[in-house]
Amino acid sequence: MNFFINATMPDHKSGIEHAELKRLALFNKNNEAAKLVLCDWDPNGHITANQAGIQDEQIINLFDYFQEASHVATKLIQVQDIEYGVLDAQYTDDPSNSRYLVTANNQLIARVNYKQNDTRPVKSIEWFDGFNNLYCVDHYDARGFVSLKQWYTADNKIGTETWQTPTGRVVIEAFHKQTMRGDMQKTNWRLIDRQHKCQQFDTQTELITYFFDCLNEDYWSLDHPNVFVVDRSHLGDQALLQLKKPAYTAFHLHNAHTADAQNPEAPLFNNNYEFALNVIDGYDAVISATHKQTADVRTRLHPKAQLFTIPVGVVSDRLLTAPRVPLADRQFGKMVVFARIAWEKNLDDLVRAIGIVHQEVPQVTLDLYGYPDPNENYKAQHEVEAVIAEYGLEDVVTLKGYTTDIDAVQNKAMMYGLTSHMEGFNLAIMEAISHGLIAFSYDVNYGPNEIVADGVNGAVVPYGDYQALSVAILEVLRDPILAEKYMTGAYESAERYSEASVWQAWEKLLSDAQNSWATKIAAMPGYRGG
Amino acid sequence: MYYFVSENIFAYNSGTEHAQAKRVQFFNREHQQNRLGQAAYVTRDYNRFLNRDATAVGLNNDEVVNMYDYFQGTTNVPRKKQHLRLLPQLPLDRYHIVGHGPNYSTVEDKGRVIARINVMPATVGLVNDITYYDRADNITVRENFDWRGFKSSVDYFHQDGQLAVQQFLNLAGDPVIEITHMNINGQLLPSMYKLKNYLGHDYRFNSQEQLFLFFLNEITRQQADITLISDRRGLDHVVAAVQGTVHKYAYLHGIHVGNVKHPVRGKLYDAYTNVLERYGQAFTAILVSTSDQQKDLKSRYPELTIKGAPDISLSSVVLNKAPITLQTRQLHQLIVVGRLSPEKRPEQALRVLAKVIKTIPDATLVYYGYAASQEVMDDLQTLAQKLAVTDHVTFGGYVSEEKLQQAYQQAQIILQPSIAESFGMNLVEAMSCGTPAISYDVPYGTQALIDDGHNGYIVPEGSSNAMAQKAIDLLSDDNLWAQMSAAAYVKSHNFADDKTTKLWQNIFK
Repeated sequence: MNFFINATMPDHKSGIEHAELKRLALFNKNNEAAKLVLCDWDPNGHITANQAGIQDEQIINLFDYFQEASHVATKLIQVQDIEYGVLDAQYTDDPSNSRYLVTANNQLIARVNYKQNDTRPVKSIEWFDGFNNLYCVDHYDARGFVSLKQWYTADNKIGTETWQTPTGRVVIEAFHKQTMRGDMQKTNWRLIDRQHKCQQFDTQTELITYFFDCLNEDYWSLDHPNVFVVDRSHLGDQALLQLKKPAYTAFHLHNAHTADAQNPEAPLFNNNYEFALNVIDGYDAVISATHKQTADVRTRLHPKAQLFTIPVGVVSDRLLTAPRVPLADRQFGKMVVFARIAWEKNLDDLVRAIGIVHQEVPQVTLDLYGYPDPNENYKAQHEVEAVIAEYGLEDVVTLKGYTTDIDAVQNKAMMYGLTSHMEGFNLAIMEAISHGLIAFSYDVNYGPNEIVADGVNGAVVPYGDYQALSVAILEVLRDPILAEKYMTGAYESAERYSEASVWQAWEKLLSDAQNSWATKIAAMPGYRGG
Repeated sequence: MYYFVSENIFAYNSGTEHAQAKRVQFFNREHQQNRLGQAAYVTRDYNRFLNRDATAVGLNNDEVVNMYDYFQGTTNVPRKKQHLRLLPQLPLDRYHIVGHGPNYSTVEDKGRVIARINVMPATVGLVNDITYYDRADNITVRENFDWRGFKSSVDYFHQDGQLAVQQFLNLAGDPVIEITHMNINGQLLPSMYKLKNYLGHDYRFNSQEQLFLFFLNEITRQQADITLISDRRGLDHVVAAVQGTVHKYAYLHGIHVGNVKHPVRGKLYDAYTNVLERYGQAFTAILVSTSDQQKDLKSRYPELTIKGAPDISLSSVVLNKAPITLQTRQLHQLIVVGRLSPEKRPEQALRVLAKVIKTIPDATLVYYGYAASQEVMDDLQTLAQKLAVTDHVTFGGYVSEEKLQQAYQQAQIILQPSIAESFGMNLVEAMSCGTPAISYDVPYGTQALIDDGHNGYIVPEGSSNAMAQKAIDLLSDDNLWAQMSAAAYVKSHNFADDKTTKLWQNIFK
């Protein structure tokens, strides 16, 4: 079995979740079994994963696994469906707090918090005893059962947490206790496993390690290895080194591995990857999305672990075979960007470049599609707006907000721009070239400077040099033949990310896993063949 | 069905529990003859040792119904000896179990103690409870095992180590009762009793008492013809409130006043207020063991129905045993049977012994019964030294039914020095073994059980001289003893099942 390890599959997905979804689709299409292994408790996890197109069969959540709740039919639980344990419970709606106050004989029994929608499903219940103490909070799984109970201390803090099966049997406990230093910490986890054995863990990481062992055992085969791909380092970088039985372990870089992404020899590693890179040979494989990053890792660490370059983006066959939109049908000078308006995207530089271009080519326009980042009171957006004002681009640059209508927008545009501080891959620019957009990018690690091939499908200019970027844009806008060449180059270079190409990259890893398996199990204690 | 309602059965029981247990046995003997209904001993308190303790007082599984067991669905679970090293829940491929003598073992993970397993008292290696520890050595959870070998409850704790949540489990491990401990007026106390998924619903109660009332209503509602007898004064108001049956009685196991000289006008013991004054009308009848107490209560509470019937009844097996002759007994042995507590005046027996020894130097005294406090025991030992009778006295402690039978059969005389006894089960049992009794003249049982000069003596209240003199008379005249022993056997037939049954049938008529 192939396991992709993540925390959860939330509604708001980051690049890592998108990469996993694309990978899962690719594995499914190629009939290679794979499951998403999720380690965090998430009461909405199944709903959001289902909405992202993943069936329950492909999700193994740690909590669900022990709660025997991997497959539970969704049931709507509303305020009147709860057992309050009293006769004549009265419900008073408190819509501003999204809750009902439940009373009996003028005594507050519970506060029932609901999800703010038409059916108002119960999210959690705060329980009060007959002496007005809040003693317990029940948290409901979105599928309609109590998943987590938080038991309160007399001084109103969370004491013990218990996770239970849909039938109410406690299977996981976490304890908040005082340490020797006198502060409160989650000091212990206790699991009653599927064989009803009581296992104790100091930390959730230890519990996760045990969970991986369970998975490895459940899908154990002498003929094929289980493949664990850890997509979020903190969830598995230690655990995968401690598996009881062999497995093929792969560590996935989703971002630059150095703190300064532009400098592969920077002394500080990216904090997320520091541990894994220091024990790199403890894993069978390290995956990065670009050849450039793979090369940088190899140069820096000389690992014995196998390095694989596997793009995290996949251009669908549908796009690759779609009719190409000729330059004439596109709006001359229209550049689009699909990115959050956020600091790391550094979009104010792109606007500066457009400002310079606009002085010579007044037809140039820039549409920014993406949510503004609310951090520091929308600072990134304000910076973009300041540059717009500075260059007088009010009619040239438009903040369009988020859209899902990518095909329509990109098929009408001509160019795509990227001036980010750093990137893990950048699916957006890959999608842009697959729509035939001419791409202009800073020389940003890792992804943009590989997806964009200078002189093939656009231009890569020195990092931070927006003037150079404007020069490159102007060059294309002045030269229709060059534009035609880059547009064709864009369509063609997208082939690198075709389903077939990416799958071939995965197949290399999978065959390495298979090829190394005989040696691995031969080295397993107690194994004598057969 | 008859339910005799009580709080608990203990390792060391008082006369009330014994009386109640014997009444259950008696009813069920007679039930087989279709003369009385089937009976069971109902208890309120959580007791993981109930099976052991009930067995020790001669009750079998069908004869005891405990509230917690009832809701846990564990009333009729056979005992399985659960050795701590064979606990299915311990992953022995991950942890070591390290023994530390007979009382406990630890569970260790790479040398760190993660749990302690206490051994069930008086067993070899059977699991009593498991306490788990976190990395800072705080207690995280305690799992409590029933005597019958299954995990019965789980305790969680507050930061200071006090109980926070108790979960009582069914055999599948699902919590069916939750008790939460939170502040009530600034004091940490059980603040919530939640019954979970009982016949598809949850119920919550502010106290165990409310839960117990719910339970009694349930067990009375579910079957027709249920009769409740309240055997504990602390539960009278609960039984009175039960709505599942109208057949409710209260059995008084003691004397209702402190000053026994004024049973009609004397100040009522507080504990009897509920049954006799506040909720008396809720009971079809209030039951006592003797006609004297019945008479006094009738005068005192003419509006109440007071009836009499003894708790103890002797089966034909007991009554038809071959008499035990003097030759097979411990010559000159006196016994006192009962709890060692002030109202039983055990020190009086020491004074009697000291006087008897002057005439009969090899006289001995054996006490059977647990000491109500260490102070009582210390006082008795000090007095024995002062009276120079230490070598003649044995404290036999609390013994099993079987050993107690042997004690009655070995002794020559049983002494009854109590301030008062509503009945005197010990005297009936002694008589059934042919052991004459000497008692102070106190209400109520003495007059009913001893025919002075026939099967024993009644001596003036508080006169250890008189009691000693009668003991000397009896110990020094084997013929007299033999006559009295024979009369004791005869008297015990007054408590034969046939006769007692008639009294009880009359009550339920």
